[in-house]
Order: sequence, then structure tokens, then C-alpha cells
Amino acid sequence: MNYKRGDILVMIMALSLVAALFATLWGDSRRGEEVRILAGDKQLALVSLSGHREIRVDGPLGTSTLEIDNGRIRFADSPCANKVCVHDGWASRGGEVVACLPNRVSVAILGGEYRFDAINF
Amino acid sequence: MNRVVQTTAEDYRIAWLTALAITIHILESALPSPLPGFKPGLANVIVIVVLVSYGWRAAAWVSLLRVLVGSLLAGTFLSPTFLLSLSGALASVLILALASALSRWLPRWGAGPLGYSVLAAMAHMAGQFAVAYAVFIPHAALLNLLPILMCAALIFGMLSGMIAAAMISRITTRS
Amino acid sequence: MLKWLSGVFIALLLNGCAKEPLYQEQLFTFGTLVNISIWGEDEAVARHAVDELAHDFDVMHRDWHAWHPGPLVSLNEQLLARQEAVVPPELLPLMQQSLALYQASGGLFDPAIGRLLQLWGFEADVPPAGPPPADAAVQALLARRPTLGDVELHDNVVRSSNPNIWLDFGAVAKGYGVDKAVDRLRALGIRNAIVVAGGDLKVVGARGDRPWRIGVRHPRGSDILASLNASSGECILTSGDYERYYEFEGQRYHHVLDPRSGYPARGAVSATVIHNSAATADAAATALLVAGPQQWYATARAMGIKYVMLVDQAGTVHMNPAMARRIHFEVDPLPRIELSDEL
Repeated sequence: MNYKRGDILVMIMALSLVAALFATLWGDSRRGEEVRILAGDKQLALVSLSGHREIRVDGPLGTSTLEIDNGRIRFADSPCANKVCVHDGWASRGGEVVACLPNRVSVAILGGEYRFDAINF
Repeated sequence: MNRVVQTTAEDYRIAWLTALAITIHILESALPSPLPGFKPGLANVIVIVVLVSYGWRAAAWVSLLRVLVGSLLAGTFLSPTFLLSLSGALASVLILALASALSRWLPRWGAGPLGYSVLAAMAHMAGQFAVAYAVFIPHAALLNLLPILMCAALIFGMLSGMIAAAMISRITTRS
Repeated sequence: MLKWLSGVFIALLLNGCAKEPLYQEQLFTFGTLVNISIWGEDEAVARHAVDELAHDFDVMHRDWHAWHPGPLVSLNEQLLARQEAVVPPELLPLMQQSLALYQASGGLFDPAIGRLLQLWGFEADVPPAGPPPADAAVQALLARRPTLGDVELHDNVVRSSNPNIWLDFGAVAKGYGVDKAVDRLRALGIRNAIVVAGGDLKVVGARGDRPWRIGVRHPRGSDILASLNASSGECILTSGDYERYYEFEGQRYHHVLDPRSGYPARGAVSATVIHNSAATADAAATALLVAGPQQWYATARAMGIKYVMLVDQAGTVHMNPAMARRIHFEVDPLPRIELSDEL
């Protein structure tokens, strides 16, 4: 099959356009998900949900351990009696809240897509 | 007032090709799609064949008729899907007008079926996307999908460009 | 991949612009986590309103607490000692409303069972890990079954004929507190807000040009079971067996006790109610959870509730048709749904 010079020109332009789009827009898809960590009534930290790490938060009963794993967060451990917070498991949606009431530690996911303005739980 | 409509062999051939484009369009609408109205765009093959064989005006007719008749047959006329198809078709027809004019003006740098097809496919996607973004879901996060969609358009544009080139060489050898 | 992309598409459709005048705050108060969202006000105005609410909630928590020293504890002690007491003004409206709700619920909502709650350990701020009380102890209390029916209120004087009575307004106070908080926000000139205290939620106004959109948590796990739009002044309230509970030898013991049996309510795991008064919704959700899948309809009718969604042990969702028209399920596959007659 014969290709003209214009075809090659179009291909070069198209490839550079796609590359430029990936470079400028693709990286954004993972950004903007943050979690607000509260101890008592004080905001302790605003941290990104990306990557994998553990965060220790001190409360009146002891240390609660939060685990962040690529866009989601959970209570890995908490010094409360019935571990409702640990049983609640992973949270990842904007607006979701997981709390350990006895130890007065809570996490609220911010940004991302708020599908709900409030959650009745 | 009586007017006699003259039909030529060329008209028949364009009508046949339009029918073929509509058939491909309908078959494609049966495929599942992540975003309503976003398709591989293989009906593009016919538009490119018509463009190269009969010129831009005929290609524009085939392209727009395919969207109109295709949506009437699929029952999506005036629905969001139809608006997306139409905006894509308009964008690709416009870029083809530009490209074929450039090809006539600078023949040394003119494009063939492959170049036209890639241009048309990407313009089609860009046009659809612009309308989807502006009219239906004006949210910045939709932009995250744009690179993937444009990349898909490039790949399918190349594919239909090659098919179109093969078809054109057969048609020209036969006639 | 396809499913994910469709999800993104739907999520995008449901969302408006990224930058919105939304102020959100969380408070540990009132024995729970209180979330306040205020839309369309200056940040300073919103912050001031939240400070006022934080103060109000602290006062209500102190005044209405059935076990920490305060007005309600001294009222209970007086009732125990002399079978008669004067209800202080900060408790009188709560008392009056509770009596009316007790009667409407046919006794399924009963704030006089504090002794039973104490026996089970649910009076504590932190529920215990078990074990459950001995059956003999439960039966001993039920032998003189304490009910709010044994309590008489004349003007502001309350009399009790049953020594087992201990008033604990836990099943209505949160709702009543949310009503008062929303009244306070309105008085402060806030036009658009949501107040959430655990399962008690009430909205004012809207979020710009669309209504507030509420997710109702699945009673098992942290997923969202269903969502719905709330109109101004509406309260969406869920009572469930997952709020305060402990597990002992594989059995779940939760804080909503059936006043008839003295044991945690069986049959239903959560009851969601929409109503304009959060206090009524709170008492109703408790009564409906106790009533269970067989009796909820009659109880809802008697209490004048127009929207009910009840999830039973098997995961079946029981609803009245009006509720079904407002609910959007967010789970796949859909649960089994049983529709009642219109309420």
C-alpha cells in the first residue's frame, strides 16, 4: 500500500497530540483524594490517600492505627472494646466517614466525587 | 411544478455506500460502550472511500445521512446519543473539508485514505467529547478520560484508514 | 473496566461543580460524631453557627444524660425515693413529647427501661464486651415490667408507681437535639444545611439548585445501601443493630431492647424513617426496629409515619410504596424487596 507524505504528517501530529493529552490530563486522575483525620474536635491532619502507609493517632484510650492503601483507608486497629471501627472496613468514597467513638478518632474522605452530601449511618 | 430528478450511476453508488455506512453504524450501536455514543467508528471507512473517490461534498452527505438515518432506525433520533453522533460527524466533516482543500492546494503534502481517516476519527471523537463535556457533564474529571478516548480514536482511525485504502484500490482496479 | 467507566460516568452526572461554598465540620459531642454541612454562607458565618451548635449540643448532652450527674439523674433519683418529682424546664418538652410518642408506639418506644439498658451494659458511653446478663436478672426486672405508662405527668409534676423505672431518653434525645439544632441554624439565618448526629439526619434548604442527596448506610458493612433526595425540613433517620452492640460467643447483642422481652430486638436489623420531626422519627425508628418485619406496618400507621424502610435479618427490604418511589438502591444485585400497602 502506498502512503502519501500527508499521511505521515497526520500520523506524527496525531501521535504527538495523544502523547500531549496523556502528559497533561492523565496524571490528574489519581489526585485530589484526601482524608481528614480528627482526634477529639481537633483536625489532626489532612493527608493524601495515595500510596500505602500507616498513621498512628493518639486518643484517650490509646493509639488507633489507620491504614492507607491506594485510595482507601481503614482502622487497622483501635484500643476500643468492640472494634466497630475496625469491622467497618475500608472507606474510599468522598464524604464517607469512619469513626472510633470511644477513642474519639475519625476519618472523613474529602474531595474526589461526593456522590452524597451526607451519609445516614 | 414538475422537476425531473436525474439519477446517475454515481448517485446509485453513493446511495449504496451510504446504505453500507448505515448498516455498519447500526451494527456498531449494538456493541456495548463505556460512554453512550462512543463507538469504534468503522462506518468511517465508507466516508473515507467516498471522500477519495467522489470528493468532499459526497462524503459529507454520506456522513450526515448515516447519522440521521442510523438514529431513526435505532430509535435514538434527537436523543443524547444522536447529538453526540451528530457533533462527531460534523467535526469530522469539517476537518475533512479542510484537509482535502489543503491536499488540493499543496498536492505534494496531500494526504491519502490513512491520513484522512485518522483526522476524521480524531475529530469525530473530539467533537463528541466537546459536546458531552459542555452539554451533558461539565466536570473536570471527565477530562481524565480524554487521553484514552483520543488514543482509541487514533487506533481505530488507522484501522479504518487501512481498510478504506484496500477498498479504494479494489474499486479502482475494477473500474 | 466497562463497569468502572460507567460508574465514573454516573458519578459525574450526579455531581455539580468542584468549587462550592460548602462548609463542613465534625464534632465529637452528644455522645456521638456530629457532622454539620452548611452551604452558601460566608465561612465566618458558618463557623460561628457551628460554634453555637457545639455549645448547644454540649448543654443538651449534659441536661439529658440519664447516667451522668445532671438534671435527669436527679429526677430519676427523686422518682426512686419519693415516687414524685418536679420536672425541670430543660427536661419538660422532652418528657411531654416522649409520653405522646410512647402512647402512639403502643409501648414499643419506651424511655422508662433505663434499668434494663443498665443491666445489659448499654448505659455506658462505651458498650461492654459481654457477657450478656443472666436470664434470671432480666426476668426479675420484667416481673414488674417498667413502662412509661406507669408514669403520670401533671403540669410539671411527675409521679411513678413502679420502682423499676429509670428514665433514659436515649432513643429520642438525639432526634430531639437535631430538631433543636436545626431550629437554631434557622434562627441564625442559615438557609441551607445538613445536621447529622450518627443515624439522625435533618436538612434545611438545598445544595444550590439541587436537593441535598443522602446516602443510607448498609446495615452490614460500610457500603451505601440506598440514596434519596431530602427536601427542606425533612429528617432521615436510621436506627440499627450495628450502632451500639457487642458480640459474645458469636451472638450479637445490640442496644435497642424490646421492652416486652427485655432482650435486644430480633427480626429487623435496621429501620429508616423520613419525617419532619426528628424526635418523632427517632422514637419511631426505635419502635419499628422492635416491631420487626411482622408488625412494623401497624406501628408506622399508629405513629403517623409516611415513609419506612426496614431491613430484616435475611437482608430483605420492607418498604411502603411511597418510600419505594423515593429510594434509589446503590447495591448490586438488588436486595429482595417486599412492599406493604400505602401508609
